[in-house]
Amino acid sequence: MQILINGLLQGVLLGALGVAFSLVYRTTKVFHIALGGIYAAAPFVLLTAMQSGAPLILSALFVILAAAGLGVLIEETVHWPFERKRSPAAVHLIGSLGAYLVLVQIVAVVWGNETRVLREGIDKTWSAFGVTLSQAQVLGPAMAATAVVILFGLLARAERGLELRALADNPVLVALLGRNVRALRRWVFGLSAALAAIAATAQAWDVGFDPHVGLKAVLHGMVSMIIGGAGSFVGPFVGGILLGVLRAEVVWFGSARWEEAVTFTLLGAFLFFRPQGIFARRARLEEGV
Amino acid sequence: MNYVFHLLIYFEIYAIVALSLNLLIGYGGLLQVAHAAYYGIGAYTAALLWTKLGWGFFPGLAVGALAAGVLSLLVSLPAWRFKGDYFVMISIAVQTLIYAVLYNWTELTNGPFGISGISRPGIGGYTFVTTSSVVVLYGVLAVGLGLVMAFLKWSPFGRALQAMRDDDLAARSVGLPVDLLKLQAFALASAMVGIAGGLYAAYVSYIDPTSFSLNESILMLSMVIIGGTGNVRGPLTGAAVLILLPEALRFLYLPDAVAANVRLLAYGLLLVLMMHLRPQGLAGTYRYQ
Repeated sequence: MQILINGLLQGVLLGALGVAFSLVYRTTKVFHIALGGIYAAAPFVLLTAMQSGAPLILSALFVILAAAGLGVLIEETVHWPFERKRSPAAVHLIGSLGAYLVLVQIVAVVWGNETRVLREGIDKTWSAFGVTLSQAQVLGPAMAATAVVILFGLLARAERGLELRALADNPVLVALLGRNVRALRRWVFGLSAALAAIAATAQAWDVGFDPHVGLKAVLHGMVSMIIGGAGSFVGPFVGGILLGVLRAEVVWFGSARWEEAVTFTLLGAFLFFRPQGIFARRARLEEGV
Repeated sequence: MNYVFHLLIYFEIYAIVALSLNLLIGYGGLLQVAHAAYYGIGAYTAALLWTKLGWGFFPGLAVGALAAGVLSLLVSLPAWRFKGDYFVMISIAVQTLIYAVLYNWTELTNGPFGISGISRPGIGGYTFVTTSSVVVLYGVLAVGLGLVMAFLKWSPFGRALQAMRDDDLAARSVGLPVDLLKLQAFALASAMVGIAGGLYAAYVSYIDPTSFSLNESILMLSMVIIGGTGNVRGPLTGAAVLILLPEALRFLYLPDAVAANVRLLAYGLLLVLMMHLRPQGLAGTYRYQ
């Protein structure tokens, strides 16, 4: 039971990452590795903001806004120019990789390579029904889940959300109908970065962080997206939760050393046998996303 | 002087790595992200044969190359089905799996502690003890493999590969065995990088899994893309940049703690700038389409 709950909570964070990754991937077809750079930077910014004496809520808001700004900056400097030149997907991928390297190394140069923590001392814990949970373990995922629900609400109801869904389905038609694709893409990159920052700080609050956690995080987001299905926005979230539960079980019944191997075997298995993911309607790989 | 020889040896090893990766990326248009894993398989197989079974230098090197070539089926078979981003995902998965095996199969690979006491290369009774003699030996091998690559570009095999890269469907329709070509290209490139891995192991006399991680693969990819792809001088330029960049940064008198970070930062910047200004790389001929 404890293992299941731990996995679920961890899975919510993975799910949030999956949503962040797929938000960009579905709408713009950009393989957003640079998201890992934003993920790595967010906790450091929070740490500095808190050390400057700002209250936690204000610092957190600042981090989210700063992350969104960073996401938009990446779109403006890297992906939008490529898009205008109609560069192939490989160019976007390599550019994103470059942006990731730049971001992570800036973080490492500014804040150092050491592992840091956001809180000190022993965390408050609650026990019920034989399950013990710490405050950090619950609050982070709760925040991430709230953010994801708000995002889904936006996608379902708001005009912008409808436009984003349209962008995912048919970008050319969106442009033809006179919608501002460039502004929409800024929204996508900003929202995705903000969500990744929330997941990053939640994770960092629980277990600490260093500048090199980003790549793994964004790859886990990618696996969540493939498991859940790249054809919907809800799929990646559910995929992430499943992945979190599975990883927790692997650690418990097998060994923590094979956690990554199992994760990526799962990715391979899904790509081969169910590329549309658990959720999406049946479609070929090329038209499903 | 010894230091220059040391740099030369690294250049020779990385030249082989870059040339082999170019066979996949530049000639075949296959964005391989698992190259460091095959580098590792070559290094580990050769090192184990040398230290545990007392094999000679060349037999060990050859079997290491063979092992890497055979295991390349792990990426080349999926390459039949997956293209673009999906192939990148598969190769990241393969990279992670092989790394996990190198890291966790402690009985064979000694896990994170690596293999030490690997002896210098030798032929018959002669051992290449001095650094300058290793420069000559590796130089001969690198030039030999470089000539093979130069020959391959204009050979029927190379032309068929480039046809497949430019238009998969057209290549099929004129009767080129595209699936077989992919198998051959991956086997050849992986065997070649396996040789480079063996050479690396024999020179530094100690290997551990961290030299063969995903980050290392990304570095190899960056090297080839910055240098340029699609010909022989491009990858060689990339290897030279990789070796000379840290030396150039030395003049900035950076503190040791950040020197490695600044090097990677420069790499990331170069990647993004290359994609903007010169997508074919410094000295390459092939642009991604």
